[in-house]
Order: sequence, then structure tokens, then C-alpha cells
Amino acid sequence: MSANQFDEIPMLQPQPSPEPAPVSAPGEGNAIREAIAEAIDQHEVILFMKGTPEAPACGFSARTVAVLQSMEVPFAAVDILPDPRIRQELSAISNWPTVPQLFVKGELVGGCDIVCEMYESGELAQTLL
Amino acid sequence: MRIEAAIPGAHAEVEDYTGGGDHFRATVTAAAFEGRSRIEQHRLVYEVFGAEIGGAIHALALKTQIPAHLPAH
Repeated sequence: MSANQFDEIPMLQPQPSPEPAPVSAPGEGNAIREAIAEAIDQHEVILFMKGTPEAPACGFSARTVAVLQSMEVPFAAVDILPDPRIRQELSAISNWPTVPQLFVKGELVGGCDIVCEMYESGELAQTLL
Repeated sequence: MRIEAAIPGAHAEVEDYTGGGDHFRATVTAAAFEGRSRIEQHRLVYEVFGAEIGGAIHALALKTQIPAHLPAH
């Protein structure tokens, strides 16, 4: 299918910051956490991954993207690599330690293992369609 | 193995598939998974390792199963 099956989510792209941001100041994560929660809310199918669908930076992310693309389901994708706080806050929200993470209709479906297992069993199609 | 020690009755087959001690593949069979969703089953195993997942353990490919003598659901 087309290479543009996913939306860019600009709010999670790293913005040049005028002053150096402290990595773990209290409250610091809140803006990122809110942006992630909002992205999960607003996209029916959203994948948090290492790299991009065109250039996945990890084999597990690549396999998850391949499964979604084979199902021809449009999905949003967020690269967690540009800022370590994205992954930190994502895991805090989802209570899931690893990436990729696939959310459908606001719910965590799982990472690569679960998504691939569900793909093979046909459950993924039921979840997505 | 740590998974078997932490989850009562669990049987774990773990493979260090790169030989580097940081990428693992595990199949875990445990009655404790009964009645839990896949997500919850995987969380149980992840909790054994806490912050090591994503730290010292770069990857843990996971397959969880309920023992065959129990009904699947």
C-alpha cells in the first residue's frame, strides 16, 4: 500500500527549546504525558515505536509495522526515540515496559509478541476492523 | 530460573538467542495465567524483572500459555 498510511504527530516531535530542560524536574513529564494521552485518545489505531514506519529502528517495531501494513489499516505512528521522556511517560501511562506498543480505541493491545500472535490467530482483525 | 521462582507453578523455557545475555526469548506456562488477558499475563512476567526490562535486558520476546490440562478460558 501507500507509504503514507500513518499520520505524523507533530506535537510529539522534539521542539528546539530556548533553555536547557532539566531531565526529571517534578511536573516536567506532565506536558509530554498529556500529549501522549491525547494522541492515544484521538487516534483509533496508534503505534508507539522506535523509528518510523518507513525506517523502523528496531526489529520488533519493524515486525509490528509490517503486520499493520499487511492488514491495510491506517494507523498513526509516534517515534519514541527523539526524547527519552516519551518512552518514560508512555510506560507510566500504559504500565507496559517495552516498545512497540499498539493502542486501539484507547486501549493497549500489546507489543510485538501479542500483536503477532493475535495476527496469526485472526484476533487482530477482529480488534481492528 | 527467576521467572519460575517468582510465579508459583510456572514453567519457563528461556533462550538467550544472541548469546550476549541481553536478548531473550521465553515461553512461560503457568496456571497463574488462568483468567487473565494476554496483556496481564505478560505484565506478570515483566514484573519479575522490573526496571531491568529496557535496561540490562534489551529484549524479552514472550509467549505465555496456560497449562494444557486446564481449560483455555
